Amino acid sequence: MNDQLMKEIPPVAPGIFTLPHGEETQPRLLGGFCPTCEKHYFPRSKYCPVCLGALAEADLGSTGTVYSFTVVRTRAPLGLPQPYGIGYVDLDGTGLRIFCLLDPNCIDRFQAGLPVRLAVGPLGHDGRGAPRLRPFFTPQQTSEERSK
Amino acid sequence: MASAVVLGVGMIPFGKHPELSVVRMGAEAAYLALKDAEILPNQVEIGFFASAAASRILGESTVGQNALWEVGVNKIPVINVENACTSGSTALYLAYNAVLAGQVDIALAVGAEKLCVPQTGLLNSGETELDTQLGMVAPAGFAMRAYRHMKEFGTTREQLAYVAVKNRLHAQHNPMAQLRKPISIEEVLAAPMIVDPLTRLQCCPIADGAAAAVVCSSSVAKHVSRTVDIKAAVLCTGSYESPQDMIRWETDYRTCAMAYEKAGLGPEDIDLVECHDAFTIAEILHYEALGFCAPGEGGPFAVQGQTTLGGSVPVNPSGGLLSRGHPVAATGLAQVFEIVTQLRHEAGFRQVEGAKVGLAHCMGGDKAGDTKSCTVAIFSRRTHA
Repeated sequence: MNDQLMKEIPPVAPGIFTLPHGEETQPRLLGGFCPTCEKHYFPRSKYCPVCLGALAEADLGSTGTVYSFTVVRTRAPLGLPQPYGIGYVDLDGTGLRIFCLLDPNCIDRFQAGLPVRLAVGPLGHDGRGAPRLRPFFTPQQTSEERSK
Repeated sequence: MASAVVLGVGMIPFGKHPELSVVRMGAEAAYLALKDAEILPNQVEIGFFASAAASRILGESTVGQNALWEVGVNKIPVINVENACTSGSTALYLAYNAVLAGQVDIALAVGAEKLCVPQTGLLNSGETELDTQLGMVAPAGFAMRAYRHMKEFGTTREQLAYVAVKNRLHAQHNPMAQLRKPISIEEVLAAPMIVDPLTRLQCCPIADGAAAAVVCSSSVAKHVSRTVDIKAAVLCTGSYESPQDMIRWETDYRTCAMAYEKAGLGPEDIDLVECHDAFTIAEILHYEALGFCAPGEGGPFAVQGQTTLGGSVPVNPSGGLLSRGHPVAATGLAQVFEIVTQLRHEAGFRQVEGAKVGLAHCMGGDKAGDTKSCTVAIFSRRTHA
């Protein structure tokens, strides 16, 4: 999908990712950071749960490693593909392990330890049928690269 | 120090009850508990009524006042409780604390839920939560724990399946259970896959149901037989810290340890357990958190037979959530019903021989790879003078 069309679809939640823009070719996850406690959070809330200081917006990057995953084969909620993959990913450089969707086009490729990168696309709806952009993780190595 | 006992329990069979409203079910369980306790409604001084889904699914609110009015419990504080799958055990926790604090002599805890209606859908942990919006559904958190447990500890699909087989074996003698037909490991593994690696027979079914308990001060209950002492009732919320170790579940370990400490007891003292086996892997994780085996050993421990009736510590002699079904807010009090029945030595064919100490464990909600609520209560058979 071209970038202009993507920008017309609202994100599933505000402030959790940025789309590629200018020289930045990758979508990136956004979270919170407490400069006092030096801890990252995702998603970002207003206050640090340790010191109650204000959280700053933080770029959480776009790469990580799969910690665990599963494939949901029951009736999919929110117009998600059936079946769909979800997992927990350890985000590089942040110490965070976050829950996330996995690329529905290659659910058979995921396993613990797999390096993944963030993608964003129209995936499912808002519960009332209106499309939403959702972040998901996809293997860093494409199928073509893998078969070489 | 003040102490509290369970004076009476009541429960209706779990299953599909299209003819019964959530109010009627709750009232019936309360009636049965009052009759079992041999008290009148005007002796109850506070009521805690748990229903996790009535407002969302049925559009009902303050159900507790409606249900308790049907059995004559009025003019007293009635508090409605929602705490996901621990709603019923939270009601017990509140009743226990009200008695322990000396606020009242007699408290009533009731849990009722109606889920077998078309609008129920998949249970989640809040519609607007980001995890829910990204596709988290109740079985998935446990499926990811199962995958990780298999990968790190070598737990097998057969060991997972064994939990479902064992609990169904127990359920054949429990008239309160929805599913009572024994099943084989092959049947469990061949059932439709719900969330890898959990098949349908490894996920608890939904149900309609209600259960209740009358809690009272031991000073009031001293002349009453068939009472059961409450040695501890604790509730912990998750830490939600990231990264969560999903198979060395800190919140589970912490809650179990707190209950043991308050009761002055340890895993070696427990004669039977009712635990939150919403999915087979959950029971295996709880064996480890409860200290019945070393971390990571829950799979082999499951198949060794200690947790089967006749073993050293039978777990879910009622058949558990996997066989009873899970009318969310009623489950915690159904566990109390089973433990009290066992400690009174009135459980018939599923009786744990000589049972003196029983433990009820419940868990609910999912947030940031952690549970939102975990409860553990420990009960002991009263030694009559």
